Amino acid sequence: MASETVPSVVELKIPSRPEFVGVARLTILGVASRMPFSYDEVEDIRLAVGEACTTAVGRAKRSNKMDTEITIRSEISDGKLTIKVEDRAGPMPETPPVSDSPAELDEQGLGALLMELLVDEFTVEATPEGGTLVSMVKYSG
Amino acid sequence: MNLKLNTRNINDLTALIDLEGEVDVYTAPQLKQQIIGLLDSGARHVTVNLEAVDYLDSTALGVLIGGLKRLRERDGTLDLICPNPRIKRIFEITGLDKIFDIYPSEKEAMAKLKAKEEA
Repeated sequence: MASETVPSVVELKIPSRPEFVGVARLTILGVASRMPFSYDEVEDIRLAVGEACTTAVGRAKRSNKMDTEITIRSEISDGKLTIKVEDRAGPMPETPPVSDSPAELDEQGLGALLMELLVDEFTVEATPEGGTLVSMVKYSG
Repeated sequence: MNLKLNTRNINDLTALIDLEGEVDVYTAPQLKQQIIGLLDSGARHVTVNLEAVDYLDSTALGVLIGGLKRLRERDGTLDLICPNPRIKRIFEITGLDKIFDIYPSEKEAMAKLKAKEEA
């Protein structure tokens, strides 16, 4: 068993295409299962990562950058799972606030709303490489 | 895992779509096409059965909202069957449980639909 104090990193690259988002979800399911999360928490993480990849795939399609990759980097350390999803498919539209009328949100807005609700910390930033970096943190226990 | 769809025509105006598997950015377009096909053939009441769905994302929510809006434009309905608390929770945390009528079983969904049709 690896020491709890040494961070464990798992990194995955997937093509920015819809059929590969499920691969990212399966991987994060395995990573999150290494930590003492409840079943519901693991499912929340799976959905949040799926949403981060889905928004990247959507932007890649719209900006004709489906030949780019999405990098999913997860790090386990001391009861904390940090996940960074980085793409090169352009900036993410501004995250909408939690809406009173979710039916008016488009898929991107719903995806951002879900990510915000499912993890403990959620930030989005534009990268110098012309993409988006989504950072999410989930604490166990 | 892929998505399996099966459509049952209850009557000329009413159809039920059974889904099995994952509804995500890859598979949701199949559901969208199915709903559009039903709209084109004159359906007014569509019920989507999520009983055998084990994953559903924002793309699926977007397709269901789109279907609901189009059906409401023609005084129709789009209802959901969702006994799985994990899937239902996605509708609850996003507030979409207030937009959709969500039933725990096909029997209840069909009974309510019959009452709506007779109203």
